[in-house]
Amino acid sequence: MAPWLVTIWLFGIGLYGIISSRNTVHLVGCLSVCQSGSYVLLLGIGFKWQAGPPIFYDHPPGTPAVDPVMQALVLTDIVVGAAVTALLLAIAIQVHKRRGTLDPQHLRPLRPDA
Amino acid sequence: MNPGARLVIFLCALVITAPAAWRVMHSMPTFGAATSGYADTVNTLAPPLRHVSNMVAAVNFDIRGFDTLGEETMLLCAVVGAVMLLRGSRGEQEGDEAGLLAGRADIARSDATTLACRVGSTALLLFGTYVVLHGTVTPGGGFQGGVIASSALLLLYLGEGYRCWRDLIHSTVLAALEGIGALVFVAAAAWPLAQGHPALDNLLPLGKLKDLYSGGVIFLLNGAVGLAVTGSFGQLILEFLEETRSPEDESEPNEADT
Amino acid sequence: MKPLVITVLLLTALTGLLVVLSRDPARQVFALAANGLMLGVLFFVLQAPDVAYSEIAVGTAVTPLLYLATLAALRINKKHP
Repeated sequence: MAPWLVTIWLFGIGLYGIISSRNTVHLVGCLSVCQSGSYVLLLGIGFKWQAGPPIFYDHPPGTPAVDPVMQALVLTDIVVGAAVTALLLAIAIQVHKRRGTLDPQHLRPLRPDA
Repeated sequence: MNPGARLVIFLCALVITAPAAWRVMHSMPTFGAATSGYADTVNTLAPPLRHVSNMVAAVNFDIRGFDTLGEETMLLCAVVGAVMLLRGSRGEQEGDEAGLLAGRADIARSDATTLACRVGSTALLLFGTYVVLHGTVTPGGGFQGGVIASSALLLLYLGEGYRCWRDLIHSTVLAALEGIGALVFVAAAAWPLAQGHPALDNLLPLGKLKDLYSGGVIFLLNGAVGLAVTGSFGQLILEFLEETRSPEDESEPNEADT
Repeated sequence: MKPLVITVLLLTALTGLLVVLSRDPARQVFALAANGLMLGVLFFVLQAPDVAYSEIAVGTAVTPLLYLATLAALRINKKHP
């Protein structure tokens, strides 16, 4: 039951951080906390007690191992998540250059005369 | 919308979804029980079928290789987007002067830092290449090794200073690395398709289990993804650090141009 | 084994809370690095060495650097309208 609780906790606290944030860079950090909740969920599903990693170099194939499909999902997710974080930070820099403020609650949608 | 109203709406949403979350949490499978027959099948069948000992690499590049093709393209698109955003308003010229902030001391770099970073970045680059090449036998692979190699580029910046680092690392080289990695991945998917097999089919010779070259197309895709990820993260680091240079002219960002 | 998994899960939840509670972005960078490290240890304890490699390299080295470079760029470009 523990990983599911931690997942709900991380997602909830990340969401609270996003809605109450006063700084876009802080907001992007809270978004990454939400994402890490999903990693915990996926790896928690694949876990088995008394099983080793799914690498059969030292042990013969056939020893109990945890789920490799979940690990493959999380692996690519982490790297792509970092790239998307970089994209969001680039957007934050541009918003700051044009609007002068980073407060999400003071940013209005784009208007032609802005 | 003022912050108080926002918080109240959030709490209402929490109250409404809490029973559902509780119910879902209790009907999840027990933590640590075996849940997936697919996983056991992969663990049993992949070593004799593909001659690899890293199951995660086999799943990533062969059994579910098509998903990784999508992830690779996502990485490419995110990096292209970030680079375009940053370069679009800054222009293509390379800033030479470091951006200075009032009241902030300009500390000279010590020799110990430079030496440690030179030794460290060489070792890290070697380690990253090792992790990429051994992706089919031990934990590791293209994604991990690529990120480790790009952190070697980072150490090099720390030790050499921005100007020397910029002379060493050219943006075109990094872009070429990224493009070649993605191109090899797409070619490995298209080549079997052109010959009548399913896309990303493993047509290369498979090699021996626990050997360095094993898994056929898995080994090739490991290398391609390693190149692509190194190029991608290197580009990101380069563009972000270029933002910290002082701007050449004081003009306003022009909305009509970008 | 079970107390270890529970402890690391609780530490991960704690560092996640710290990331959200540090409102100043310059402080949040270190909380993010700590969160990345704890996640890496959690993935290692959950028998996933590949994922742990990825998370430690990305979460403690590359991502905090991107945040620091962004903060520096924001401060430098603040003077110019």
